[in-house]
Amino acid sequence: MDFLRRFLNYYIFFTCFLCVRCDEFKEELFFKPLPSTHLYSYFQFVTLVDSELSSFHSHLAPRSLAEVVSRFQVEELHLTLTEGQWRHHQWGYPVLDAAPGAELYAWFSPDVTDVDTQWKKLSATLSGLFCASLNFIDNFNTVTPQMALWPMGAVKSSQNVTSQLRYASLPREIVCTENLTPWKKLLPCESSRGFSALLNSRMIHNTNYHSVGVHVRKVCKSSDCLETQLEFKQTVALVYDYDIIKSNDWSLRKLFGQGLPGACPLSTDSKIYIDITSNSSQPFTLSPPPDNVILSQRGRTDTLLAVYNIHPDGKMINIGVKHKTKSQLPVSIHPPLFFNRYVLGYGKEFGGIVTEITNNCLAPINVVVLENAPWWLPIQLSTLRVNGEAESKLVQSQYYSPGRSRQKPYHLELLIKLPPKSTTTITIDFEFVFLKWQEYPPDANHGFYIGSALISANLPTARNYTSLPITGTTFDSIINDTKLWYPIVFRTNGAMVSLPTPDFSMPYNVICLACTVVALAFGPLHNICTKELVLKPSGTSLSLTQKLLNLFKRKRD
Amino acid sequence: MGLLSDPDVGSVKWVRVLKRVHGPVCFLCYVGALVWFVLLGHREFNNETYFSENALLPGLVTNEFNAEQTANQYFNELHSELQTNYEETDEMPVPWLVGMMSHIHLEVYTHNFTLRYPLGKGQVFKGTNVYGILRAPRTSSLEAIVVSVPYRSVGSHQKTTVAGIALMLAFAKFARPQKYWAKDIIFLVTQHDQLGMQAWLEAYHGLHSEAEPFHASLGSFWKPGTPKFTMDSFLPNIPFRGRGKKPLNPGTLKGRSGSIQAAILLEFSSPKIKYVEVKIEGLNGQLPNLDLVNLVHKLCQKSGIHHSFGKSYSWIRGRDSMDDWKNGFWTMFEMMVGQIDGVPDGNHGLFHRFGIEAVTLEGRDEMDPGGKVPRVNTLSRCNFYKLGIALESILRSLNNLLERFHQSYFFYMLASTHRFISIGQYMPSLCLLCVAMLIRALSLWVTTLQQDGDYNDKQTNKTNKKPSKHKLEKAKDSDSEEPGEQETKEVTKVKTPEKKKADINMSVLNIGVNYLLVHLIGYGVMNSPFMMAYYGSVYYMKPPEVSVYFGIISIAVLLIFITPFLPYLLRKGPISYEELSLVNILVLTELATVCLSVAMQNFSLGFAMAVIYTPLALMTSVHVRGSGKARACLQLLKRLVCLLVHPLVVLLVCMVAYSRHLVADESWLATLSRGSDAAMQAIMFSVVDSMLYGNWLFNLSTSILLPIWLIFWQILNIKVNAP
Repeated sequence: MDFLRRFLNYYIFFTCFLCVRCDEFKEELFFKPLPSTHLYSYFQFVTLVDSELSSFHSHLAPRSLAEVVSRFQVEELHLTLTEGQWRHHQWGYPVLDAAPGAELYAWFSPDVTDVDTQWKKLSATLSGLFCASLNFIDNFNTVTPQMALWPMGAVKSSQNVTSQLRYASLPREIVCTENLTPWKKLLPCESSRGFSALLNSRMIHNTNYHSVGVHVRKVCKSSDCLETQLEFKQTVALVYDYDIIKSNDWSLRKLFGQGLPGACPLSTDSKIYIDITSNSSQPFTLSPPPDNVILSQRGRTDTLLAVYNIHPDGKMINIGVKHKTKSQLPVSIHPPLFFNRYVLGYGKEFGGIVTEITNNCLAPINVVVLENAPWWLPIQLSTLRVNGEAESKLVQSQYYSPGRSRQKPYHLELLIKLPPKSTTTITIDFEFVFLKWQEYPPDANHGFYIGSALISANLPTARNYTSLPITGTTFDSIINDTKLWYPIVFRTNGAMVSLPTPDFSMPYNVICLACTVVALAFGPLHNICTKELVLKPSGTSLSLTQKLLNLFKRKRD
Repeated sequence: MGLLSDPDVGSVKWVRVLKRVHGPVCFLCYVGALVWFVLLGHREFNNETYFSENALLPGLVTNEFNAEQTANQYFNELHSELQTNYEETDEMPVPWLVGMMSHIHLEVYTHNFTLRYPLGKGQVFKGTNVYGILRAPRTSSLEAIVVSVPYRSVGSHQKTTVAGIALMLAFAKFARPQKYWAKDIIFLVTQHDQLGMQAWLEAYHGLHSEAEPFHASLGSFWKPGTPKFTMDSFLPNIPFRGRGKKPLNPGTLKGRSGSIQAAILLEFSSPKIKYVEVKIEGLNGQLPNLDLVNLVHKLCQKSGIHHSFGKSYSWIRGRDSMDDWKNGFWTMFEMMVGQIDGVPDGNHGLFHRFGIEAVTLEGRDEMDPGGKVPRVNTLSRCNFYKLGIALESILRSLNNLLERFHQSYFFYMLASTHRFISIGQYMPSLCLLCVAMLIRALSLWVTTLQQDGDYNDKQTNKTNKKPSKHKLEKAKDSDSEEPGEQETKEVTKVKTPEKKKADINMSVLNIGVNYLLVHLIGYGVMNSPFMMAYYGSVYYMKPPEVSVYFGIISIAVLLIFITPFLPYLLRKGPISYEELSLVNILVLTELATVCLSVAMQNFSLGFAMAVIYTPLALMTSVHVRGSGKARACLQLLKRLVCLLVHPLVVLLVCMVAYSRHLVADESWLATLSRGSDAAMQAIMFSVVDSMLYGNWLFNLSTSILLPIWLIFWQILNIKVNAP
C-alpha cells in the first residue's frame, strides 16, 4: 500500500512536470438545493489542450474525441444526452441547459466547404463513440439556426459562423448506461478515481433528471487571445428529489451509493462547491465543514458558496447536509424568464403549437425563439400569431424556412422583445399528415415527438443564473462576475402528437381472407382435376312418390 | 340505375315478386329486428370480456398502498372544514385543497372559468378548479393520467364527494415518492360538476371563447380567418346565437402536462360504501375503450370490492340461463336508455370527445336510488384501504401503457359486468329496420315506374301496331327528343288530357324546393331558442325555459297547419301522384340513412329513432282522391298515428311515463302536468347542453327529425288525383 502511494506521488509529480507545457485537467462538482424539494448536482470535467500541438500526442485529453474534432475540422461541438425535463419555472436555471433526448450542434471550421457531408460523418462517428442513435441525424432533422445559437468559444470576428453551424435534436432518444460507460472512458481517470467514481449508473439513472454532455470549444490562452486552447468539457447534471430519496438530508454516500475516493491524481484542481444561500431560510449544517465559504456578488444577487478542496490522497470523503428542522413548505419564486410549450386542439385534422414565454423582470428582455418542427408536422407561417395578432409589434425580426416532405424540417426563428412583467404567447398551427406505411415506428409507440424549441436570451439580472461566464472555464470564474447581460440558451419542453395511424392489422386480415378464399377454391378445383367425369343417363323427372320410394330403398340398402 | 329505369321493368320477375311481398317482408324485418334485439341479452348472442391490450398487465404489481390512515385524516379534516366554513355557501374550499396539495409537494395550480348563461338575461357564473400535477421522474411530461373528483357542496342535492377527495389526496401522498411513474398524474378537483370539467378540458386543449361551438365548427378547432356562415351577417339586429361567442369562457391554465391518456373519476361520499358502480356513458353516447372498462371491473374484483354495472351485480350470479337472459337484457336496455339523450352520466363523459378514455367509479350504499339492489345488506362494507388498493392497481396498470388505447372495442354494449355485445352483433337489428324502409322505397320506385310503363304501353299499342318493345327501346335511349315519345304525347293530347297533364307536372324542381324548404325550417327551429328566450324575457317577462317550451310548441303547431300547403307555394295546379311518391321515396331513404349514420356513433339513439319511425315510414302512402270511404278512414287513422310520433309528443309521452314510473300513486292529471314540466326542463337542458357541451340531441331532432316528420305529414295530408 505504501509502495503504491509513493508510486502515485511520483506519478503525479511527473505528470505535473509534463503538464507545464501541455494538458491540464480539472474536476469540479457543484451542488445546489432547488426550490420545492429538489437537489441539483453538476459535475464538470475540463481538459485544456494546446491546440497548436497535434492532438495525436494528447496526454490527458480524450484521444478518440480529439481525433474526431481534428478529422472533421470541428471548431466547436456540443453534445448532450438527457433524460427528463428541467423545470425552469420551479427550479431556476441549470449551468448548461439541454433538450430532452439527444441534442447535437457543431460549428465547422471555415475551411470546410461541404458542411452537410461533414455533419453527417460527424454525427455517425459520434454515434459510434457514444452508443447513441445519432446516426439518425440527417438533412430532414437538421437546421441551421440563424440567430438563436452563437459560438461559446473564441472565433475570429470576421468569420461567418452561421453558415458553418448545424443543429439537430432527437427527442425520442432514451439515455441509459450504455451511453454513460463510453462517456466515462473519455476521462483521464475513467471511473476508478476522482469525481467520476461517483457516477454509478445504478444511482444516477434513478434521478429525476440526468443529462450527460460533451462540449468542445476553443478558448483564449491569454487576454489578448493571440493563442487559443482546445477545451474539452464533460458534464453530468443530476436532479434528485428529496421525496424519492425519502429525506432532505443528503450525503454523497446517499446520492451516489459510495463516498468520494479522493481526487483524480491527474487533476490539477478538484473542488466541490455547495450553494448554501438557502441556509438562511432552511438552516442546515455541512459535515465535514467546508474549507472556506465564499460570498459571490453577481449583479445584485448574493450567493454563498461552500468550497471543499479535494486532494488525491485516496481517503474516502463523505460530504453531507443535515437540516435542523423538518422540511418546510418550499416557497417557489419564479425565475426572471420562464416558458411553457404545449400542443393545442384535438382530433386528427389540425393542431397548434403554443409557446408561452413569461418575462418576470421589470425590464424588457430580447429573446430569440427557434421553432423546429419536423417535416411531418407542417407548420404554416400564415397562422403565426403572437399574442393573437398576426402583425405583432413585439416581433423585431423573423426568419422562416419552410420544410420539404422527407427532406427538410420547418424552421422558424423570431426575435421578440418581451415587455416587462408579461406573458407572450406564440401560436402556430399545423396540419396532420399521413405517413408512408414504413415510416411508422415498428413497435408500440406513445406518439410522435416534437423537439424542444430553443430560446436564447440576454437576461438583465443574474437571479437564478448559475452558468459560467463565456470566458470562464471553471466555477471560480462566476465569483463576483458582474456583467451587463447574462446570456443563456434555454430548451423548452417537447411535446407529443399522435398522427393518424392506419389499421395495421388490415393487411393481416386481408391475408387471412385471401387464404380462406384460395383454400375454398382449391377444394373443388382439386376435385375436378383428380376425379373422372362420367356421363350418367338422365331419365324423366321423377314424381314425388317415386322420390320418396327411392329414399326408402336407399335406407334399406 | 340502368336496370331500374328500364321501362319493361314491370315484367321482370323480381319486380313482380317484390310488389307482391314487400308488405309482409317489411313487417317481418321489423319484427325480426326487435326479436334480434331482445336476443342480444342471451349468453349465446354476446361474449365474455377479455383484455386486448397486453401492456396493461392488470393486477401484476404488488400493491403497496399504505395511506389508509392519511385518507381517514383527510376525510375528517375536510369534513370539519366544510362544516365550519362552507356550510352555507356553494364555494369550494380552494385554500384547503391548495394547502394540502402543496404539502404533498405537487405542482398546484388553480383555474378560473366563467359561464355567461346563453339564454335569458345572461347571468354570469364563476367557478374555480384546483389541480396538482405529480411530475413523473425521468420523463419530460409527454403523457399524463387524470384522477379527478367533482366537488359537491354540502347543500347540493347530490351526494358529496368528500371521501373521493380524501382518497385522491391520500393516494397522491402515497404516489409522490414512488419512482416508477412513467406518466404524470394530474389530480383535479372540479367545481360545478360537468361545467368545471368541460372548462378545464377546453382550457387544456386550448379552445378559446372566440371559437365557434363544436357542432358549428365540425369538431375541429376554429382557425382564425376561416369564413363562416352565420345568421348574424344577414339579420344583424336579431340575436341568433350570442354573437358567435361561446357561453363558456374556459380561461387559461398556468401549468400543464402532456397528452392525457386516460382518466379515472371518483365519486365517493363515504369510505364505508357497499359497492362501486362503474359508469361509462359519455357525451352523445360515446363510450370509453372496453379495455379500460374491463380493467376497472377486474381490478375492483381483485381488490375485494363489490362492483356493478346497471342491473348486473358482481355478487349475484343468475340461477339459470333464463334469469341471465333477463338480467342481461335489462342491463343492456338500461344502458341504451341512458345513452339516448346523449348526456353523460358523470364527468368522465366529457373526456371521450377529446380522445381520452375515462370512467367514473361511484360508491353506492344500500339506500341509493336506482331501485332495489338484491342482497345488498349481506355485503361487507368497504374501506379506504381497499379503495386505495384498487386505485393504485388501476393507475399502475395505466402507467404500463405503451401506446394510446386503440385495441379492443369502442362501440359495444354491456350485458353485465363481464359480458359485452360488439358492434357486429347489435348492428344487424338496426340494419333490418333500415332495410325494411329501403325495401319499401324500392317497391314504391318500381311501382311508379311501372305505372308509367303500363301507361306508355297502352298508348303505343293503340297508336301503331308495331311491337311495343321496339318503341320502348327507343324511348329508353333518350328522354324527349325521340319521335316515338312525341307521337305518344300527341296521342295523349287527344285521348286523355288529364293524364297528359300529370305527366308534364312531374317537376323535380318543385319537389326539391319543397324538400329544401322544410329542411331550412328545421334549421331555423334549431337556431330559434336563443331568440325565443330573448323575446320571452324582454316582452313577457318569462323565464327562458317557459318561453322556449311554449315557443317550440307554438312553432310545432303552426308547422302542422301550414306545411301541407307548402308545396302549393310554387305552383298553381294540383300535385301529381308521381311527385308525391318521389317525395315518399326520398324521405324513406333519408330516414334510413340518418338512422344508420347516427347509430354509428350512438347506437341507442339511432335504434330508438328507427324503432319509432319505421312503422310510420312503412304505412305512409300517397292518398288518392276519391278512393272510397274505408280508405279515407284509414288515412285519418294514419294521420293520427303520425301526430303521435311527432318528436314533441314522443318527448311528452316519455316524460309522462317516466313521471308515472317515479311517482306511481298520483292522479293522471297530476302526472300529466308533472310530465309536461319535465318535458319543459328536458327541452331546456337539451338546448343548453347543445350550446355548452356540443350535445347533438336537440340539433338532430330539430334540424333532421322534425323535417322528416313534416314531410311524412305532408304526404299524409295531400290528396292527389289517381294516376
